[in-house]
Amino acid sequence: MNKIKIFAGIFLSVLLLSLISAQISYCCEKVKDTGAWCQNMDSKDKCDPAYSAPVATSCESTSYCKAGCCINSNDGTCSQNTAKKTCDNSKGTWIENAQCDTEQCKAGCCILGNTAFFDTLTRCKSYSTLYGVEFNFRNDIQNELQCLTIPNLDVKGACVFSQNSTKTCKITTRKECNDMSRTNQDVLFYEGYLCSAEKLGTNCAKTRKTTCVDGKHEVYFVDSCGNVANIYDSNKVDDTNYWTIIIDKEESCGNGNSNRDSSTCGNCDYYLGSTCKPYQRGQDNTPKYGDNICRDLSCTYNGVRYQHGETWCATNTQIAKKDTPGSQYFRLNCYNGEVDYELCDINRQKICVESTINEFKNAQCIVNLWQDCNAQDNKDDCENKDQRDCKWIKTTTSGNMKLLTEYCVPNYSPGFDFWNNQGTCNNIGTDGKITCIVKYETSVLGGKDCVENCDCMNDAWRKKMAQVCTSVGDCQLEVKGGDNESSKITP
Amino acid sequence: MKKRGQVTIFIIIAMVIVALAVIVYFVYPKIKTTTTTTNPNDYIQQCIEKDIETNSQKIAMQGGSFNPQNYHTYNDEKIEYICYTNEYYKPCVMQHPFLKQYIETEIQNSIQEQTKSCFDSLEQNYKNQGYDVSLNRQNYSVELLPNKIISTFNYELTLTKDSSNKYENFKVAVDNNLFELSAIADSIIKSEAQYGDSEITAYMTYYPWLKIEKRLRDDGAKIYILTDRDTEDKFEFAVRSVVWPPGYGV
Repeated sequence: MNKIKIFAGIFLSVLLLSLISAQISYCCEKVKDTGAWCQNMDSKDKCDPAYSAPVATSCESTSYCKAGCCINSNDGTCSQNTAKKTCDNSKGTWIENAQCDTEQCKAGCCILGNTAFFDTLTRCKSYSTLYGVEFNFRNDIQNELQCLTIPNLDVKGACVFSQNSTKTCKITTRKECNDMSRTNQDVLFYEGYLCSAEKLGTNCAKTRKTTCVDGKHEVYFVDSCGNVANIYDSNKVDDTNYWTIIIDKEESCGNGNSNRDSSTCGNCDYYLGSTCKPYQRGQDNTPKYGDNICRDLSCTYNGVRYQHGETWCATNTQIAKKDTPGSQYFRLNCYNGEVDYELCDINRQKICVESTINEFKNAQCIVNLWQDCNAQDNKDDCENKDQRDCKWIKTTTSGNMKLLTEYCVPNYSPGFDFWNNQGTCNNIGTDGKITCIVKYETSVLGGKDCVENCDCMNDAWRKKMAQVCTSVGDCQLEVKGGDNESSKITP
Repeated sequence: MKKRGQVTIFIIIAMVIVALAVIVYFVYPKIKTTTTTTNPNDYIQQCIEKDIETNSQKIAMQGGSFNPQNYHTYNDEKIEYICYTNEYYKPCVMQHPFLKQYIETEIQNSIQEQTKSCFDSLEQNYKNQGYDVSLNRQNYSVELLPNKIISTFNYELTLTKDSSNKYENFKVAVDNNLFELSAIADSIIKSEAQYGDSEITAYMTYYPWLKIEKRLRDDGAKIYILTDRDTEDKFEFAVRSVVWPPGYGV
């Protein structure tokens, strides 16, 4: 009895050790073949011997490869999930906070002159020195878009000055105009005025020309001195008031619309799908004045028109059956008149879902939560969308059916690495097989009468089981038995 | 007789043109050399800028690395992993924490030979012109700035002939927007390190001049291609983060 116990003990120890050794990983400070820093590898031979001796533990447990936050004290850059060794190599300061959730790394809105961007305070100061302009750091703004669309704080107006005995003008900010007054005595700033304002008496006059401005999306009138005036509005080309004071975008023609391809209004809106571009014959409507127009940024894909900024889902299979081996989900996007794609996952571990709000499509690649479908034994748990992406398959059977024909299977069947012997669908039934024993009774007259599980002999039942099998993943389907010995159902 | 005279004149004109062409062909390069060496700053700018342009373009297409070590091959290009994990489910570990600084160092190292060669030839040219040349070579640096790359050479050149002229801090400026593209790349990498993915359409909405392509590869690596729609300048880099294995992953 004792011998049996000792033998069993040794056997269990060996089994345990083999299981442990199978899970051991070594932290390589540097991987020999790839040169990658701080990776967990399954063998210490994969580590570069020129660096720290590999330790049989994960990198997180080592002092040199533990992930933290690496801070560049010169320019305030914070690098997340950075190993201590990599940080030291880059001459950074390493702290034990992998997500860089520190005050030093907290981003805010950095306003420099007329531009704004979302970054840390140190970076803001660094850029301020770089550009030679004062900065305004707004840590109350915690959203990049809000920061980028912050209105210009510098008021603009007409800066009137003398040049070669001529009274001329430039549209600029008060600060820039004041700077000009240091080198030129006859400089006056008129806040909110355009250079073409008659009361200023400059040599700048209204024209019928238009221009596109760097960093802006609207079509603008331009005066005879080359200054940008108000947004192009063909009805106001000769309107003296429109050439006198600066009018906001919100008060200009067609506000709230994209005004794409409009020959009369240049109030383009990038977020609504238009931007200023030079007019091209054959592509755009002819503008009434000038050579620029609000170009339509929408796209056409497979005969369907998509708005600029829309995203939608597609698969690489054209057949009606979904999630066949090799099929993949894509997220497509339309930007600046071009359609581009983003593959969600190679093996359908991520799927694409889309929604439409106010006729605007928005798609996302999300994780396919199929892994615990097979463990669910009731419909409610199976189809709980908050927890998993599964569906309940139940066959309608007659009264003599003893075999359980209810399954919880993935709603989006995952791809298997079937060429490496993965994907034998072992999680269906027993050993990946759904076995149905059909019982017959011999009648008094010598014939056979089916008495149990008779539905298993129906094509409808087999097709349903095939559906179960294909839903589980990239499974091989084979139906054996009865009259259909070795017959196959292909997915 | 009159006709023969006309023909002779044409022959003489043709010979003069050929002679002028020969003179221009042989003498012009010398004229050019002389003019460049009269301004050392211009000479260095012309001598090094091409290398900075070419190398920074190559570096931009290879994930910020001149000679990629840990890379993914995409369209026959070796693209360096900026953030990488070889495991499944885990977020990537940063390989080059300060991207801008890393690119600057890579450009700096890549122009080392050309820098030496340019200053050597500058020195030699002045010596050939009879100058007494003193060149004190200290260090040099490369900095990515908005819309340009500036290389600053802390070298001191003293030229003495009849009088003495001193030139310090040679600067070479090249138009390039690696500064802007690397800043966007930096932001994408941060998102990859934290969440294992990044929302590229948000960047394209924020920055209308920018086009971002994200290409998922068979091993779960992602290639990001950032393109400036106005200048067509590109920056490509590789990331491998939060990769889902096929099936159950066992």
